[in-house]
Amino acid sequence: MKRHIRPYFLFQAAVSLLLSSCAHHPDVPASSREAKCLPAIFPDYCDVTVPCNIAPLNFMLPADQYEECVARLTTPDGRQQTYGEGVKVQIPESEWHAMLDVSKGKNIKVEVWGKATNGQAKSGNEEKGGWMSFNPFEIHVAEQPIDEYLSYRLIEPSYIVYDYMEIAQRNLTSFEETQVFNNKVSCDDPKGQCINCHSYQNYKTDNMLFHARVTRGGTIIVNDGKVSKVDLKRDNTISAGVYPAWHPAAKLVTFSTNLTHQVFHTAHPNKVEVFDTASDLILYDVAKDSVSIISNDPDLLEVFPSWSPDGKYLYYCKSVPLPEEMRDKDIRTTYPKVQYNLYRRSFEISSQSFGEEELVYDAASADKSVTLPRISPDGHYLLFAEGRYGCFHIWHHDADIVCIPMDQYTGDALTAETSSPIDLTLFNSEGHSDSYPTWSSNGHWIMCASRRDDDNFSRVYFAYFNNGKVEKAFLLPQEDPEMHVTLLKSYNRPEFMVEPVKISAGEFARVF
Amino acid sequence: MKGSLFRCSLFTIKALYTLLFGVAVFLFFGLAYPHHLHYQEQYQLFLFDSTYVWEIIRLPGGVADLLGRFCTQFFLFAWVGAAIVAVLLVVVQLLMLRLVSFGRLFGLSFVPSFLLWLFLLDENALLGGVWAVLLTLLAIWSLVHHPPKGRGFVILVTIPILYWMVGPAWNGSHYHRYPTVVPVLLYAAWLSAIILPLAVHACKKWANDTRFSTLFSHLSFLLVAFCMGLLLWKNANFKAERVMQYDFMARHQQWNRILSTIKAEKPNNQIGVTVQNLALAMRGMLADHLFEYHQNGIAGLLPDVERDATSPLPTSEVFYQLGMVYVAQRTVFEAQEAILDFQKSGRCYKRLAQTNLIIGHYEVARKYLTALQKTLFYREWAKETMSLLGNEEAIAKHPEYGRLRQWAYAEDFYFSDHVTPEMLEDLFFSNTDNRLAFEYLKAYYMLTGDRKRYTNLLLHSVSR
Repeated sequence: MKRHIRPYFLFQAAVSLLLSSCAHHPDVPASSREAKCLPAIFPDYCDVTVPCNIAPLNFMLPADQYEECVARLTTPDGRQQTYGEGVKVQIPESEWHAMLDVSKGKNIKVEVWGKATNGQAKSGNEEKGGWMSFNPFEIHVAEQPIDEYLSYRLIEPSYIVYDYMEIAQRNLTSFEETQVFNNKVSCDDPKGQCINCHSYQNYKTDNMLFHARVTRGGTIIVNDGKVSKVDLKRDNTISAGVYPAWHPAAKLVTFSTNLTHQVFHTAHPNKVEVFDTASDLILYDVAKDSVSIISNDPDLLEVFPSWSPDGKYLYYCKSVPLPEEMRDKDIRTTYPKVQYNLYRRSFEISSQSFGEEELVYDAASADKSVTLPRISPDGHYLLFAEGRYGCFHIWHHDADIVCIPMDQYTGDALTAETSSPIDLTLFNSEGHSDSYPTWSSNGHWIMCASRRDDDNFSRVYFAYFNNGKVEKAFLLPQEDPEMHVTLLKSYNRPEFMVEPVKISAGEFARVF
Repeated sequence: MKGSLFRCSLFTIKALYTLLFGVAVFLFFGLAYPHHLHYQEQYQLFLFDSTYVWEIIRLPGGVADLLGRFCTQFFLFAWVGAAIVAVLLVVVQLLMLRLVSFGRLFGLSFVPSFLLWLFLLDENALLGGVWAVLLTLLAIWSLVHHPPKGRGFVILVTIPILYWMVGPAWNGSHYHRYPTVVPVLLYAAWLSAIILPLAVHACKKWANDTRFSTLFSHLSFLLVAFCMGLLLWKNANFKAERVMQYDFMARHQQWNRILSTIKAEKPNNQIGVTVQNLALAMRGMLADHLFEYHQNGIAGLLPDVERDATSPLPTSEVFYQLGMVYVAQRTVFEAQEAILDFQKSGRCYKRLAQTNLIIGHYEVARKYLTALQKTLFYREWAKETMSLLGNEEAIAKHPEYGRLRQWAYAEDFYFSDHVTPEMLEDLFFSNTDNRLAFEYLKAYYMLTGDRKRYTNLLLHSVSR
């Protein structure tokens, strides 16, 4: 026994040495000048509130201004650790999670030093070169965790033609990203294949779906873990299913059916305009493979169905009639006048019947258009995206997320003035598109796809939500913080999940 | 002594044949097929970036693919590309010679190389395929020359490594840009590289008979060269080469070269006519000389935006030069998205950086420039352009970007795939300094026979 102890300790020492070499713990600069401002770190994690299980908030200083960065993190128990290599601060997952564990409900203090590139003028009132110390900031660690998984489509912000795309899932407590499906697996035609609209029932993945278009198209439905492909285009529908919403309790999915078109701006920064010339709502019964019409007003456009968490109401957006003089004109000229309001209908699950339509939020009265409604898991709040017109706000610079307390709704349509919206100033960006809002399963984290960083590539932003108070938004953390700068793909349709998709891309491909 | 001299002269002759073959390949791609090489280069973007490299080599066939992509970046310079292709094909032939003594059947050692040459005539055939054959031969050669002891073990190790390096040959991995195309010629080359040495080995007694060895060697080479040369001649697509030349000249804004080319041959293909009209307009000659050349109606002037990777590129040049920067951006973006093997394009990245710079979307331009900084040949340009980001004064003074900013649309409207005369009218009447729009508008009216608008335009022009 004794003769094994020495090799054992040697082995342990070697492993420890190897592991410790993975994290760089630099010394804090011996001397520095005070910058008297917060560090211009990317992503901006200064004074954000984060879930107690989130992946490390790695960040960096601008590489064109600094050559080195050192950060010292201090947890509430007084322990300190330094990080930094080059201009990047990358924290090992195990060390970070240990820090989060002791900081729940408290703060981690972050001090940052940056060594300026010689001859490079600095921000604030700094001189050239040398180490600078910035004002410390805090990372507030909430008691509540975030859902462990997030899925999104990674796609170029394209016009009509599309390239390689994939639906990916990311473990939010680490940096692990795996692929759910891609458009190469089952496509052997030069026309390509578009995959989109991944959707889950109650944040779980045993009942889920996504669409494949063009080559071998159809809707891929997972029903209690069993995969099948269905064609939702029926004789009485204008298209196959498009924007989906799973009923929270029954094997029912509502879809909008859309005749969608695109045009392109010649001078406006919105670049692309996506619009429908017709859209209706359908209900798909997964078990019976039957489609029934919910709403198909021939003159108006119904879109973006979304269930209340109790399954008793179906929320959706519906366009407002155009002024008489504009009705016969080309949609390309009238489209900036197309605005959507928010409606709902009660739903009786036993008879699968819908009640009368109720106008919940009148956005058009404030010259706005509402899209993508989502009710909070506790049913008390409503999130949606709002822009001046149209239904595709991810291209609209003026689009923002709006949150209203549902207790304001008593049967009379709410408006911008009567809805007492929650202050989302710290969540929305100024002058950039914020769209596709959603809730985590515990209702404490809200998320949106935002183009605030460059106006072209969507990124996922989260914010803490507690009793109607919303904290500063923070960007999805990445192992390499520069990844968000270099990645030429958009994060499309981010959806929370409490578990990963367990079916492999190969298994999905078998139904094509 | 005599035998040694004989062997020496035979060796020299064989070396000369190899050299001759290499020079033929070099001259063919340098003189007759240079724009096929340019075409290949513009549909990929080789990045000196660990993530990029890992994404390629982690797949079976990744090493061959990576080496192919690495070499293809040099195709930006056709003569360098021609030299690379020549060297690779010569190495394949030399490896064949190393595998087995061809003796009288010396000419057969050229068959795989000739087949690869044939394979490369296709503009969508990828150089990774050549590398796959070369690496396979290298592996076989090293196994053949391995001492018998432990050879079994080496074979066991080599097979999975070879699988990783050259990929599953039976499904074509990444050897052709069209995923559905089975690269038959590549397989033929690969199979011939394996079967021919075995066949020669089977009849080695006759093949290595010294009687009439030189004569047979000459004859076998001449026979293979003649047959393959004939196949090459029959299969070379010189028509496509001309079209690619027009696209190349437009890409590099060689307006005078285009004018001298069209004088000599008057193009009648879609891309050629588009480029011809652009060059005429750039020199202020379009309306005056419009009918001296083939026209293809409005489509030859301002083609609709198609959904392939080739035709939108020269079309986007027209939009860009006219000042339709958003339209040019969309067109070039669509072209890049249409690249069938999901690669990116240095040419497209460059143009997307330019259009975003002109529009003022500096952060988007920065992303493209950051990627281009990781390339060998676009790095310097990207570095220089990066310094313009946000520098309004420098952009305004820039001879190209400043001009295009001034010419850009002031009023926003929607466009789709089809350019209308109203789009040109908006462009010209909002900025009458835009002489290119003036030329195109005149030509548009002439091609549509709209005399009234043509006269009005001239009157407007005179009254200025």
